[in-house]
Amino acid sequence: MESYIRQRFAEYVGLPEEQLFADDVTLATVIGRSAKMTNSIDLMETFARTSNALRKEHGVRVRLPTLPLDTPMPRVLTIFLEEFDRQKRAAA
Amino acid sequence: MTVEADHGTVLVTQRPAGPDAPPAIITDLFGALTRHGLSLVDVTWEQQRLHESRRWSVLDMLAAVDLDRLTPLDRTLVWNAGRAELTTKPGADRLERQADAECRRWQDSNPTVSAIMQACGTWSRYWNEEEAHHETAFNRLAQLTGMAPIPDETFIEFRQVFPDDDMLRTLMLLAISEITAAVNYGQCQQVIDDPGLRRLFKQVAADEIQHRNYFVSFAKALVDSGEYQAKDAFAVAHLFLREDGEILGSSRDQVENRGTHVNWWDRLERKAGEDDFRPEAVEKKQQLVFGALKKITGIEVHSREELEDTWMDLVGG
Repeated sequence: MESYIRQRFAEYVGLPEEQLFADDVTLATVIGRSAKMTNSIDLMETFARTSNALRKEHGVRVRLPTLPLDTPMPRVLTIFLEEFDRQKRAAA
Repeated sequence: MTVEADHGTVLVTQRPAGPDAPPAIITDLFGALTRHGLSLVDVTWEQQRLHESRRWSVLDMLAAVDLDRLTPLDRTLVWNAGRAELTTKPGADRLERQADAECRRWQDSNPTVSAIMQACGTWSRYWNEEEAHHETAFNRLAQLTGMAPIPDETFIEFRQVFPDDDMLRTLMLLAISEITAAVNYGQCQQVIDDPGLRRLFKQVAADEIQHRNYFVSFAKALVDSGEYQAKDAFAVAHLFLREDGEILGSSRDQVENRGTHVNWWDRLERKAGEDDFRPEAVEKKQQLVFGALKKITGIEVHSREELEDTWMDLVGG
């Protein structure tokens, strides 16, 4: 699952996975580095597309909480996975 | 109306230049420019008529305020409003510049979108002028009632220009900003005793609603053109209405330090006498945002959850 989320997210952002999920990379850094992004609305849309892809593949809809722009990407990934597990349990 | 007068042997026909119909915002701008064949001269004339019909004097309005009757809460509301209104000039300056650039970008590929952009950029001069009334009225009043002066550094900080974005997203954000301001000023009217100050807040709130209507009209025209997608209007609405979203303004646990510009709703401050006053009225703002979305996109939602679901469906996989 983690690998799937990383791949989808990297695809939508337009950055390589290893650059995207480094410890010192925050949401603000991603907006700055991605040629596809202007501001946090693009970030929101990337989360939505990743979540939609997950729903299509696994039937679970993940709703992410509002995250500050200084949140590191590994932390974002953890929250995404926790939300996925929570929603999956709730749906079961 | 045509007036005819007999001057000796010559019959003079006098045609008044003024129109008969009351001025109004063109709510279906795309249809007006395409099916009804209005030109930019026609559209600008309508903007001018409405602008003139809504003019008011800051000097007259302030003369009607009884300074000695204002409570500490009244003065705080005025002070916050004055600071917030400082951010509208860079908003209008930017809209004028970006709309003109977009107008030229679309000129060859879609002349109707180009005309919508030009109509929007042209109207920004009225918006800018009307907002100047708000800013100067509140800041002068704050000064006269001995509120903390606004240092030049703060003035210049609040004048920073918001970075450019997609035009539909920009217009939706501006519509929500006007909704937020109008509702806040409406809430202020509820707690103000002085009739002169109440009238000022009422007038400014009415202006903000008129601005909201213009932004909705331009945004709807862009969606109607088929060149802009409803999802982008929904994205901005979701940004504001989601949990811990922008609509909560400075009452959020964490407000982003943007560095590039000031969002006025992030910088409202609570002061003495304001403990029992909460201007948020989130429910009312939410309903107005849903109403704007329906007018712009034709899609109706009734709750934050429905808004999020619809936006995610529009985004796709």
